[in-house]
Amino acid sequence: MTQAIVVEGLRKKFGQREVLHGLDFAVEPGTVFGVIGPNGAGKTTTMRCLLDIIRPSAGSISVLGQDPRRAGTELRKRIGYLPGELYLENRTTGRRMLEHFAAISGPVDQRHVNDLADRLHLDLDRQTRKLSKGNKQKLGLLQAFMHKPELLVLDEPTSGLDPLVQQVFHAMVREAVDGGATVFLSSHVLSEVQLAADAVAILRDGNIVTVSTVEALRTAAVRQLRFNSTGTEAHDVGALLARVPGVANVAVRELPADGHAAGTVEATATLSGHIQPLVQELARLHLTDLVLEEPDLEEAVLTLYTGGDASSIGNAPGASRQPEGAHRA
Amino acid sequence: MPRPLPLFTKALTDSWRSTVAWAVGLTGAIMLYLPLYPSIGGSAQMQQMIDALPQGMTKALNYDQIATGPGYTQATLFGLIGFLLMSMASVGWGAAAVGGDEESGLLELTLAHSVTRVQVVLERALAILVRIVLLAALVFVLVLVLNGPAKLEIDVGHLFGAVLLFAALALLSGTAALFAGALTGRKVYGVAAGAAVAVLGYVFNAVGRQSPDVEWLLNLSPYHWAYGNSPVSNGADWGAVTGLLCISAALVALGTLALQRRDVGV
Repeated sequence: MTQAIVVEGLRKKFGQREVLHGLDFAVEPGTVFGVIGPNGAGKTTTMRCLLDIIRPSAGSISVLGQDPRRAGTELRKRIGYLPGELYLENRTTGRRMLEHFAAISGPVDQRHVNDLADRLHLDLDRQTRKLSKGNKQKLGLLQAFMHKPELLVLDEPTSGLDPLVQQVFHAMVREAVDGGATVFLSSHVLSEVQLAADAVAILRDGNIVTVSTVEALRTAAVRQLRFNSTGTEAHDVGALLARVPGVANVAVRELPADGHAAGTVEATATLSGHIQPLVQELARLHLTDLVLEEPDLEEAVLTLYTGGDASSIGNAPGASRQPEGAHRA
Repeated sequence: MPRPLPLFTKALTDSWRSTVAWAVGLTGAIMLYLPLYPSIGGSAQMQQMIDALPQGMTKALNYDQIATGPGYTQATLFGLIGFLLMSMASVGWGAAAVGGDEESGLLELTLAHSVTRVQVVLERALAILVRIVLLAALVFVLVLVLNGPAKLEIDVGHLFGAVLLFAALALLSGTAALFAGALTGRKVYGVAAGAAVAVLGYVFNAVGRQSPDVEWLLNLSPYHWAYGNSPVSNGADWGAVTGLLCISAALVALGTLALQRRDVGV
């Protein structure tokens, strides 16, 4: 089976400013592929290139086996697209807007539309200008999903959605994938992508830093660790932490007695890699407080980016990476 | 179900309010101006007053011909207020069709669906054409209705030709706006281009009629191509009709090429 998306050497210049510096990635059919990266990294530009809304300066793109530049309308009928910045007409209702797009990209099963609207708790008969940002986003999702496309290209799909609706969205993505569709989505928040994606590409300043599985990424990501313990000398705590692989930036101090139990030690550190060895060591201590934060995307990206250590992360089964694009900095 | 010309029908239905508004404006203008002919243009007193005005001014305003019903209609309605209203409507629609749509961020989503860029430009240009034809038909009917009561004595065939030129002239500024909008993706450039065609055409005509030294300006004026021979009085110059329509068609074609070749929404 051919890959759903193959991008090779994709470059894009706006005037003198190059915003994509030669991207290489491929998305296997029937998988969810997430692109994460800070704002301005090139996520939206990449997606617009897939839809032929903007044209690459160099490189080649294949979407569902076709070049979007030449494929024409039949290809876009097979794609559902949610723009990163969604603008809707003011003087219309959601229903009329969807009917218009259905007339272009249909056929659309009206029951499917109503079903999705129900699940998203979206009133299709309200004027679009009266919709909140979240409700507009739901409408944007609906027009992308309604014709059951083979490929969904979703730019920041969960932006503006409250957590319950995000769950509905993730269910919709899973159903689409179960039905054989491929999903290409972007986010600037790792936690959003990790729920949905099989594979993740990290984009930074127009380069792909790494393509990896979410699991591998989480392992590589750096977490902030902070705990208090009693009954142990500060240097013993330091020595204990030093034995744990992946722990760095250790700072240990004894807290003043006032307000704390006597002999309280506060320790901060960073952890990359597996959690289990750390937990085993910490079990020896008498902890009064423990915070192990969610991996921070920015730090994960920075680690992978500056460390040049991307090769140590296994390539995802759902994502293959062209070798020449991997380490370009 | 796939419907034929989805973008065309949407453009038409979306703009019914503005179409009605311009129709009301044109109706008001016609109802104000034409019934006054017997007391203004046809009266000897008025003619004396006009004779007393500087010749340059009467020429600039086309008032040298308002002594006859057709001349009066030509000068006041087709040459001035109708021209103004129709050009504004057309330029507004033309600038909004692609440039305005892109600027407001809507075009990106439309293009992501199963349409070609050529189709977007052509269907929306067609929608502009239809709206202009509707307004022109309204003008035709209203003038015809007032022809007798206002003692205008306009030949129906000449009126038809004049309305055709009236529509073609408006279409030209509208397609100029459409083209500039499609080229730049900005509404303001579309408005500027469309307004330039209309205003410069008018100014070149007004100035060009002042003296033989500046007569060459008339050749640059679409307004003069259309109205140079006073079509309400003398019938349409069919060469001008064809010429104006061909330029409009060419502008639309250039608009499709321009949009086809560039990035949208950047």
